[in-house]
Amino acid sequence: MDKDFAARRRRDLIIAAVLAAIAALTPLFVKDVVVQNILILTLMYAGLSQSWNILSGYCGQISLGHALYFGLGAYTTELLFMKFGVLPWFGMLAGGVVSALIAMGLGYPFFRLRGHYFVIATIVIAEIGLLLFHNWEWAGAAMGITIPIRGDSWLKFQFLRTKLPYFYFALALCCLAWFVTWWLEDSKWGFWWRAVKDNPDAAESLGVDVFNSKMGAAAVSAFLVAVGGSFYAQFVSYIDPESVMGFQFSLLMALPAVLGGIGTLWGPVLGAAILIPLTELTRFKFGGSGRGVDLIVYGTLIVLISLALPRGLLSLFARPKKTGVSR
Amino acid sequence: MTITRRDVLLGATATAALMPLAARAQTSEVVIGVIYPFSGGSAQQGVDAQKAYETALEVINKDTDFDLPLAKGEGLPGLGGAKVRLVFADHQADPQKGRAEAERLITQEKVSAIIGTYQSAVAVTVSQICERYQVPFVSADNSSPSLHRRGLKYYFRAAPHDEMYSAAMFDFFDAMKKKGTKIETLSLFHEDTIFGTDSGNAQAKIAGERAYKIVTDIKYRANSPSLSAEVQQLKSANADVLMPSSYTTDGILLVKTMAELGYKPNAIVAQDAGFSEKALYDAVGDKLEGVISRGTFSLDLAQKRPMVGKINDMFKARSGKDFNDLTSRQFMGLIILADAISRAKSTDGEKIRDALAATDIPGEQTIMPWKRVKFDEMGQNNDADPVLLQYIGGKFVTIFPPQAAIAEAVWPMK
Amino acid sequence: MGLLYGLIAVGLALIFGLMDVTNFAHGEFLMIAMYLSFFLFAFFAIDPLLSAPLVAAALFIFGAVVYLLIVRFAMRAKANAGMVQIFTTFGLAIVMRGLAQYFFTPDYRSIPQSWLGGKTISIAGIFLPEPQLVGALVSIAAFAGLYFFIHRTDFGRALEATREDPGAVALVGIDKNRVFAFGWGLGAALVGLAGAIMAVFFYIYPDVGASFALIAYVTVALGGFGSVFGAFAGGIIVGLVEAVTALVLPPSLKSVGIYAVYLLVVFIRPRGLFGSI
Repeated sequence: MDKDFAARRRRDLIIAAVLAAIAALTPLFVKDVVVQNILILTLMYAGLSQSWNILSGYCGQISLGHALYFGLGAYTTELLFMKFGVLPWFGMLAGGVVSALIAMGLGYPFFRLRGHYFVIATIVIAEIGLLLFHNWEWAGAAMGITIPIRGDSWLKFQFLRTKLPYFYFALALCCLAWFVTWWLEDSKWGFWWRAVKDNPDAAESLGVDVFNSKMGAAAVSAFLVAVGGSFYAQFVSYIDPESVMGFQFSLLMALPAVLGGIGTLWGPVLGAAILIPLTELTRFKFGGSGRGVDLIVYGTLIVLISLALPRGLLSLFARPKKTGVSR
Repeated sequence: MTITRRDVLLGATATAALMPLAARAQTSEVVIGVIYPFSGGSAQQGVDAQKAYETALEVINKDTDFDLPLAKGEGLPGLGGAKVRLVFADHQADPQKGRAEAERLITQEKVSAIIGTYQSAVAVTVSQICERYQVPFVSADNSSPSLHRRGLKYYFRAAPHDEMYSAAMFDFFDAMKKKGTKIETLSLFHEDTIFGTDSGNAQAKIAGERAYKIVTDIKYRANSPSLSAEVQQLKSANADVLMPSSYTTDGILLVKTMAELGYKPNAIVAQDAGFSEKALYDAVGDKLEGVISRGTFSLDLAQKRPMVGKINDMFKARSGKDFNDLTSRQFMGLIILADAISRAKSTDGEKIRDALAATDIPGEQTIMPWKRVKFDEMGQNNDADPVLLQYIGGKFVTIFPPQAAIAEAVWPMK
Repeated sequence: MGLLYGLIAVGLALIFGLMDVTNFAHGEFLMIAMYLSFFLFAFFAIDPLLSAPLVAAALFIFGAVVYLLIVRFAMRAKANAGMVQIFTTFGLAIVMRGLAQYFFTPDYRSIPQSWLGGKTISIAGIFLPEPQLVGALVSIAAFAGLYFFIHRTDFGRALEATREDPGAVALVGIDKNRVFAFGWGLGAALVGLAGAIMAVFFYIYPDVGASFALIAYVTVALGGFGSVFGAFAGGIIVGLVEAVTALVLPPSLKSVGIYAVYLLVVFIRPRGLFGSI
């Protein structure tokens, strides 16, 4: 198995490199901004979902509150920029660190909870964050923060019409999240996580290492999601609590991984590649009708896919012999 | 060369992007993008807006006999009778989606201008995109004052904003006080999105300037499952006037809860939104006899200007509803925008922008009680006079300002 | 108000708590019930109070059908059963909202006049709105009924046994699907009751369920999964906490109080107040 495993990992890395290279070249052929917009969102959600997958897929701690970290990333970046003139690049890091610290702080009590209690606790904590930001005057409260655009600038990471810088950043984020996942799969943490997921009680008795590995998962996951959040804020150049911390983000981060294959290396990417263009196209096609047809189409697809392929779309490509991680 | 291309998918898009912008000018059809929430919690407003725009479209594209810009004759005279076509897009109340839709409309549907959006948060991002692509954005029904103060060149709003509305309310209080009515204390009750926050801030500011005392200032969560605790506080404060800024859903719940808890204020002076919606009066109209709401539109105007009634009938045939404060602004917004495009004699964004900036339509040629339509350098029309309407005997009558009023205010409300 | 939250939560307590099936479409069940109640009123002038049993019966069928057509398969999933349930029911919720918008239009509806609407009983200066009062009574009755049902009837025992060990009950001749379909029907019927009463004093539109869904989940979890009494207590606590928070904090933050209490409770008692699973 070990040899097999190592071979598969090498192969995964090569495939990823090839895919990334192809993705990096697409803007040469795709000049249309609308399609570019879809690509950017797809890459961003792939990256976010990949990060979510670290905690919820690999470690088995299903979180539906990752919007909290997404929003924290967005808000930290923009507040630092607007109030103290800190460039978004540093804000991004700061947002990541803040989120990771909060994730660890929350992990302390949260990881004692199991199952539904844990899931609801994550929803609730994100909702608290949303309400607090909604009422926090200094942070713009409901008015949100508008980032003034003064022309193209790499320093301020803002661009008038071109989407290419955003595209490459989203690609980089996606690759980073993928690579971190890939790397963690074979680490000591990855081993503990599999143990936690397969048998929480037995893993519990192993004690402190397991707990630390969960904390690690939460921190890494929150950090990456927060970076995604600051990217989103720069990309949209306007944030308000609802649009960066709403529950829908928690779901949108989870959905690609679930559809593609939760707890797998490729699931989130595959899921996002299908889900996000689908969402956008159904809205383009049916959204203007005012009769909710887009919702019906979108919802039906989610029901069908999750019923037909509980392991995710990835299981369509599954080879008979599964390696350890993808349970 | 066909430019009307709706379902551009991956393959066709590369060529679309390469097409020079100037190609737009050759079209015999002018496309205008309309961005609204067509699904989700405020889908009703989107659907109503769609009907209002279609009514305006009929006035523009067909030969009608109203004293409105573009009503006579078919299409846009400045562009050789070119017809206007509307493309509707759904922003689902999400600023990001609004932004993406605006970009799609501009680059793929080749719209010459965009109109929208109901939610102010979405107007923020849509107007930014329009600014970047130098396509005019007409903010038909957003009332948040912060919108026009962002130094955008392509932003236009013909209707009043919440500070103008709030000022009118306080003018009204001042006038009532002169007549000997006791108005000293106010209760503000506003929801926590941009609309409510902005409105609450504006009211608090003016109240401070004119020495009215705010005894409670309640900010509540929009779409709350219950407002009992909030109404309890309003009741114990028992101010002379209750000033709610609520959307329809919360408005219905507020009124029902007030009735249940036995709270009857002397007067309710509402910041429009929910309090101009038919749905609210269908639901709780019997409890609202005498409620006062601000507005920019009043069907009373039909007595002075018969065309208002006729256009209202056209709208009613489509939607089953009378024009309200929102739908009348949407109707007027499209007329003003189309008039500018016609005068620009071009579909080029910058020329339309200049034509909009040069707009000067006398109030009589609108369906609104406005003095005229003329934009200041920030794109705001400061001559859009708000009116105050009172709900009496199942319909609204104009009570303020005096020049538009057809009845005296009933105070206290029943 | 707390008892009303309880009433909304009681159906969820049965589905979510006792059968251990995640139902993210709970709010949409409520929405359907409210629409039914509205249409029965609008077209046949049946007062919501009278139509409540009809609505409950209709929802019973609806719940059972949803189980047999969809949820049954979601539970059969061999992998990631939890996630499959979450996302199947979530997708279902979206479809239901879309369908409601398609058929009922997004207009806001409400029932203007009814036997209970807007009437208030005043006892010693405390105003008790009749709809809420009736809601509270129905809520207590529903909880008592459910409690009795689960703990005193064969069927209730079968339900619990089925959750705990589906394989074993099959051996003694209990059809898991029939038991669960009935459980779903019953859960939905209770939501139906809640919806009929809510329709008296609340507005109705396709997204209305969303306002209540999260509070219902928190209520059930606060009381503890698997405990009918827990959901009842949870409802009361949620109502009280909400009222108190609105006095102490700005009302726009009143839900924060509810959420904070939930977190506090589960940190101290990881299985809720009275939870058994």
